[in-house]
Amino acid sequence: MEKGPANPEVKEKVLAYLDTVEKAKSKEIAAKISVPKADVDLAVKELAMEDKVEYLYITTTFVALKGKVKPPQ
Amino acid sequence: MPDKKTPKLDELEHGPWPSFVTEIKKAAVRNESAKDLLNLLERSYDDKRGHWKHGGIVGVRGYGGGVIGRYTDLPEEYPHVAEFHTMRVNAPSAWFYKTETLRTLCDIWEKHGSGLTNVHGSTGDLIFLGMKTEELQTTYDELSDAGFDLGGSGSCLRSPSCCVGPARCESACYDTLDVCYDLTSSYQDELHRPMWPYKFKFKMSGCANDCVAAIARADCSIIGTWRDSIRIDQDQVKAYAESGLDIQGMVCDKCPTRALKYDHEKKELHVIAEDCSRCMHCINVMPKAVRPGKEKGATILLGGKSTIVQSAFLSWVIVPFMKMEPPYTELKEMVAKIWDWWDENGKTRERLGELIYRMGMTKFLREVGLPPVPQMVFRPRANPYVFWPQDEIVK
Amino acid sequence: MSKIDGGPPDYKKLLPPIITENYGQWKYHEIPRAGVLKHVSEKGDTLYSVRVGSPRLVSIDYIRDICALADSYCDGYLRFTSRNNVEFLVSDEGKVEPLIKELEAKGYPIGGVGNALSNIVHTQGWVHCHTPATDASGIVKAVMDDLYEYFGRTDLPAKLKVAMACCLNMCGAVHCSDVAILGVHRTPPRVDHEKIRKGTEIPTLVAACPTGAIRPDPKNKSVVVNEERCMYCGNCYTMSPAMEILDAKNDGIAILVGGKVSNARTAPSFSRLVIPFLPNNPPRWPEVTAAVRHIVETWLNNARKGERVGEWIERIGWERFFSLTEIPFTDKHIDDFIFSRETFRTTAAFKY
Ligand code: HEM
Ligand code: HEM
Ligand code: HEM
Ligand code: HEM
Ligand code: SF4
Ligand code: SF4
Ligand code: SF4
Ligand code: SF4
Repeated sequence: MEKGPANPEVKEKVLAYLDTVEKAKSKEIAAKISVPKADVDLAVKELAMEDKVEYLYITTTFVALKGKVKPPQ
Repeated sequence: MPDKKTPKLDELEHGPWPSFVTEIKKAAVRNESAKDLLNLLERSYDDKRGHWKHGGIVGVRGYGGGVIGRYTDLPEEYPHVAEFHTMRVNAPSAWFYKTETLRTLCDIWEKHGSGLTNVHGSTGDLIFLGMKTEELQTTYDELSDAGFDLGGSGSCLRSPSCCVGPARCESACYDTLDVCYDLTSSYQDELHRPMWPYKFKFKMSGCANDCVAAIARADCSIIGTWRDSIRIDQDQVKAYAESGLDIQGMVCDKCPTRALKYDHEKKELHVIAEDCSRCMHCINVMPKAVRPGKEKGATILLGGKSTIVQSAFLSWVIVPFMKMEPPYTELKEMVAKIWDWWDENGKTRERLGELIYRMGMTKFLREVGLPPVPQMVFRPRANPYVFWPQDEIVK
Repeated sequence: MSKIDGGPPDYKKLLPPIITENYGQWKYHEIPRAGVLKHVSEKGDTLYSVRVGSPRLVSIDYIRDICALADSYCDGYLRFTSRNNVEFLVSDEGKVEPLIKELEAKGYPIGGVGNALSNIVHTQGWVHCHTPATDASGIVKAVMDDLYEYFGRTDLPAKLKVAMACCLNMCGAVHCSDVAILGVHRTPPRVDHEKIRKGTEIPTLVAACPTGAIRPDPKNKSVVVNEERCMYCGNCYTMSPAMEILDAKNDGIAILVGGKVSNARTAPSFSRLVIPFLPNNPPRWPEVTAAVRHIVETWLNNARKGERVGEWIERIGWERFFSLTEIPFTDKHIDDFIFSRETFRTTAAFKY
C-alpha cells in the first residue's frame, strides 16, 4: 500500500495549475499537466498535509489552493 | 435576550415515541448553538422551508473529507449557528461499544460542539452535529488522540459498514466485522483523500437477509452465502411440528423454488439441494432446524446506488461465490481493477453502476477480466444484437 | 500534531466477553417477548439483546443515560443497529426483567424485533440539510407516535420497515422499504441573477446539473434553466445559493410502498409511488400520518401470514391495492422516466 513520497516537480506543477483556476478535480489536473493521475493524487495528499491545498466537497470533491474558495456569504 | 418560544416544536414533545425536540432542549440548556438550532428549526416549522446553506469545507489537515460544511442563511438572527458543521466519526464494526468509549466521545463533544449527535447517521458514522469552523481541528486532534478517526465524505470511499454477523447471528456466512475493519484499515487513503469521479460504498451482510441493505445502498455489496446444501436437523423439525408450526404452509409453500418436501407422517423435511436458491426463508422460520451449508463465502454484487441521476439501481451479481478469508486478497485484487476502470472511464459524478450501464456490462467484464456466468442474469438477452469483438470474427 | 489515518476503534476490543467467547458459534435465536432476542450458542451460552428505539437525533445526555443503564445491566457493553435502535446486551438472564422494568419506567420504547414495526431510518431535513423538501425528524416522530403500538408487537403478518428521506437525493435507504416517506420538490430552481453575477463560477454550475438542464446565458452573465429537464434534485443549489430550490408553497411529501431488501422468498425490490403528493403540515403532518396508517391497516387486515407489504400487493395485484385502499390512481402513477416501459402491463390478464 505504501506509495512513497510524491515527486516535487509534480507538486510544483499542481500548484501552478491550481493558481490558474478556482478549483479542479485531480483527474482534470492530471490531464492538463500531462502527469499520471496516481502521481497527482499523491502530490495533492502531501500538499494538503503542508496546508498548501485543500479539498472541497461541492456535489463532488474538488481540490483548490488553500483559502481560495470562500464559504458562502 | 429572553428565550424564544417554540410552540410548534413543543407539540412534538407529546406522544409515546422519544422526542428529538426534547433532546435538542437538553443540549440547549448548556449550549448556545443548540438553543439557536431549536429556534431556527421553529422558524422552519413556521416558514415550511429549510434555512441551511452548503459550504465546500471538508475537513482537517491531511483530510479530504469527514466534515460537511453547513451555514445558516439567517446568521444575524441565529448567530450561534452561523457555522454549524457536521463531523463524521468512523464507527467500530457493527456498532459495538463499551460505555467508556461512548463517554469519551461525549466528553470531547461537550467541550467542542453543540452536544447533539446522530447515533448513527445513514452513512454508518457517528455524527457530531453542529460545530464552528475554529473547533474542527482541535476536535479532530482530541478524537485522534483518543483512538478515533473520521469517516468519509465526498468523492471517496465512504465508511464501510456491516451487519452484526458472527458476533451475534447464527446465519452469518463470513466474518462481516473483520472484512469491514480490514477494508477500512487497508483503504485509508481512499477513505480520507477523495480522488474519484464520485463516492464509492461497501456494505457487508452476512447472509441474504441483508440486514444492512447492502444491495440497495452500496456500489459493492458483499452478501454471505454457501455453495453446498442447507443442513436440516430432523429432531428439531419434529420439535417445530409438535410446537404447532405449519411447516407445509409457512415453510414449504413459501419456498420460492419449491425445493422443500415435508413428510407429514414422519415429520421430516427434505430439500432438493440443486433446486434451492439460498434465499434464507426456511432458515428464518426454523432457525433451530435449518442452517446454511458448510462451504461458506459471499456473493459479490456491484452497482447499487440511489436515484440521482439515472434512476436507482440495485446491485447485480458479478461473482456468485467467493471465499472470504483474510487477508481477502482475491476481493482486493478485483476491487483494485474495478476502481482503476471506473477512475479511468467515469465522468464526474458518475457512480460505478451508471458507468457500467453506459459502457455495457460485457465491456466491463472483459476489461476487468471477470468471466461471464449465468448467475449474473435473471435470463439471457432476448435480442440478437451482439457487438462482436473484432478478434472473434473470421477475417 | 495528532496522527492521521488511525482508522476506527478495533471492534474486537469492544465486544462483550460472551460474544468474544462464542464468536461465530451461535446456534439459534428465539424471540421470548417483544423487543427481546435470545441467542443460544453451541456451548449453551445465552445472550439476551433488549432493543430500544431512539429518535436518532440525541443529546450527549441521552448517550450518558443509556451508558449508565448498560453499566448496571450489561457490564458496560451495548450496540446500535442500522435502524437507529439501541441494543442492550445482557449475558445474565436474571438482569433481563429488571432492565426491562427500568426501561419501561423511563419511557424507552422496547420493540422492533421480529414481525414488528422497526424504527424509521431517516435523514436530516430542516435540522441540518440545505436541500430538504420537508423535515425528517418531525414526521418520523409523528408517524412513530401514531404507529407506536406496532413497535412493541410481534404478531404482524411480517416485518414492517418504514423509511423517510427529505429530498430526492434520498440519503437513507428509503427506496426499498415497505413504506417510504419522501420529501419532494415540485418546482425548478428560481435563478437569482444578481447573486450569480456576484461570484458564481458558471461552468461549474452548468456542469453540476445531472440532467443538463442549466445553460449559460452569456448575454446576462447568468444561466437559464430548461424547466422541462429539471428533476428538482437541488444539486445546483448545492453549488450556488443563487439557485433557490426550496419552495414553501409547493414542497411536500410522496409515499411509496412495497419495497424490500431481503432476498427471503422474493427478490429485493423497490418501493412504488402510491401517493404522489401530500402537503407539508408541521408540526404533526396529519395527512402523512393518516395516509401511512391507512396503508398499514389495509395490509394488516388483508395480508396473509408471512407476507411483507410488497409480497401482499404483488399477490393481489397493484390494481387491487388501489381498489382496496381507495387511493386514487392518476397520471402521476405511470412512470415516464427512462426505464418506464418495464412497468407497463403487457398481458391482457388483470383484475379490478
Ligand atoms: C448530488 C446529490 C447529493 C447532495 C448534494 C447531497 C448532500 C448531502 C449533504 C449535504 C448531506 C449532509 C446532511 C447534513 O448532515 O447536513 C448528505 C448526507 C447524506 N447523503 Fe447525500 N447528497 C447527495 C446525494 C446523495 C446520494 C445519491 C446518496 C445515496 C444514495 C446520499 C447519501 C447520503 C447519506 C447516507 C447521508 C447521511 C444522511 C444522514 O445520516 O442523515 N447522498 N448528503
Ligand atoms: C421513494 C423512493 C425512494 C427513496 C425515498 C429512496 C431513498 C434512498 C436513499 C435514502 C438511499 C441512500 C441509502 C444510503 O446510502 O444510505 C437510496 C439508495 C439507493 N436507492 Fe433508493 N430511494 C427510492 C427509490 C429508489 C428506486 C425507485 C430505486 C431503483 C430503481 C432505488 C435504488 C436505490 C439504490 C440502488 C440505492 C443504493 C444507494 C447508494 O447509492 O449507495 N431507490 N435510496
Ligand atoms: C438479424 C435480423 C433479422 C433477420 C435476418 C430477419 C429475417 C427474417 C426473415 C427471413 C423473415 C421471413 C420472411 C418471410 O418469408 O415471411 C422474417 C420475418 C419476420 N421478421 Fe425478421 N429478421 C430479423 C430481425 C427481426 C427482428 C429484430 C424482428 C422483430 C423485432 C423481426 C420480426 C419479424 C417478423 C414479425 C416477421 C414476420 C413477418 C410476417 O409474418 O409476415 N425480424 N424475418
Ligand atoms: C432475429 C430475430 C428475429 C427473427 C428472425 C424473428 C422472426 C420471426 C418470424 C419469422 C415470425 C413469424 C412467425 C410466423 O408468422 O409464423 C415472428 C413472429 C413474431 N416475432 Fe419474431 N423474430 C425475431 C425477433 C423477435 C423479437 C426480438 C421479438 C420481440 C421481442 C419478436 C416478436 C415476435 C412476435 C410478437 C411475433 C408474432 C408471433 C405471433 O404471431 O404469435 N421477434 N418472428
Ligand atoms: S444479514 Fe444475515 S448474517 Fe447479517 S445479521 Fe442479518 S441475518 Fe444475520
Ligand atoms: S433457502 Fe429458500 S430456496 Fe432454499 S430451500 Fe430454503 S426457502 Fe427454499
Ligand atoms: S435526503 Fe436530501 S435533504 Fe435530506 S439529508 Fe439527504 S440531501 Fe439533504
Ligand atoms: S434542481 Fe437539479 S435538475 Fe434542476 S436545474 Fe438544479 S441541478 Fe438541474
